Amino acid sequence: MASRLLSLTSRQAQKLQKCMSSSVSKTGAREVVGYGFNGQHNYADRVDFPMPAVRFLENTPDILALREKEKGDWKKLSLEEKKALYRASFCQTFSEMKAPTGQWKSVVGLTLMISSLSLWIYMAMKTFVYKPLPETFSEERVQAQLQRMIDIRVDPIEGLTSKYDYENNRWK
Amino acid sequence: MSTWGVLGLQNSNSPLMEQLIFFHDHSMVILIMITILVGYLMSTLFFNKLINRYLLEGQLLEVIWTVLPAVTLIFIALPSLRLLYLLDEVGSPSLTLKTIGHQWYWSYEYSDFQDVEFDSYMVPTNDLPLDGFRLLDVDNRVVLPYNTQVRLLVTAADVIHSWTVPTLGVKVDGVPGRLNQTSFFMSRPGLFYGQCSEICGANHSFMPIVLESVNMNTFINWINSQ
Repeated sequence: MASRLLSLTSRQAQKLQKCMSSSVSKTGAREVVGYGFNGQHNYADRVDFPMPAVRFLENTPDILALREKEKGDWKKLSLEEKKALYRASFCQTFSEMKAPTGQWKSVVGLTLMISSLSLWIYMAMKTFVYKPLPETFSEERVQAQLQRMIDIRVDPIEGLTSKYDYENNRWK
Repeated sequence: MSTWGVLGLQNSNSPLMEQLIFFHDHSMVILIMITILVGYLMSTLFFNKLINRYLLEGQLLEVIWTVLPAVTLIFIALPSLRLLYLLDEVGSPSLTLKTIGHQWYWSYEYSDFQDVEFDSYMVPTNDLPLDGFRLLDVDNRVVLPYNTQVRLLVTAADVIHSWTVPTLGVKVDGVPGRLNQTSFFMSRPGLFYGQCSEICGANHSFMPIVLESVNMNTFINWINSQ
């Protein structure tokens, strides 16, 4: 009884191993036609590796017939046949690969939405949460402080009071 | 003192600070040029459509972009070292000011003539006059003569504080059990502000420094009246 359980579990383990093994191919029945971009038999549309390792679609009798016709004069192929041959081996054309996705619109839109949310949060904080500014920020006191800065000659070389005309008591 | 909305350094009140400002401006020119160059390179890369998958090296280019930064660094290092040694020079000061940092006020001692000692506390915001500067004004200012080399000795009584007046280019840590010496020279009269520059507890932001720079006669009258 114990040995039967053991053999059962070992069979399950073997099956599990086979499912998880990387040697199980996802290529299916697709024809291998080259090295591809890394030697794996995967299909990818890439501008910098234009020849994938496998054809895109599995071979059908129709396509095999067209391939035979392709070995002859290409002028005898109609446009539809050329397109069918292309689409059997490839998923996208170069124009389709390089076509703009319009993703930038989502990015900009989402960024602006989140920015406006943060502005709303800031306004709410200012209205409901923060304490009022200290008294020294009142217009009267700021003017008095500015006059004091002029009197003590703050930054007289290139800064504040370098822009003040002391002879005529006004800003330059 | 700092004015509103200003990012740069305060105008100098000391020849050494003037030299520091010149060095800052010189380095800033070089940094702006480097930033524009790198920004331009990055933006051209962005719009470049060329691909070379097998690019490994370019010896001449690599030599150029190693030597040019080294040369640029020489242009920064030489003025920097000159200034470094200039700041360390000793000038024969005529007057000595001793500064002791406490939690949370400064105390000053002038022991050259009579022993003058006093504490300098920040004026609380509620007690400020109409034109008082919030968090900057103090009850007793440090009165010193201008056009005079002054020796500064800084220490602290409890934790580390730091005595600074940006317009003079002076920042000296006050460490308990240690005397740090520096000297400065004020070129013009006026009021010059600074704030404690080493975290020292709850009221670290509320122990400012105010220097009142006056002519020699006024200073002598003041010190006699203390």
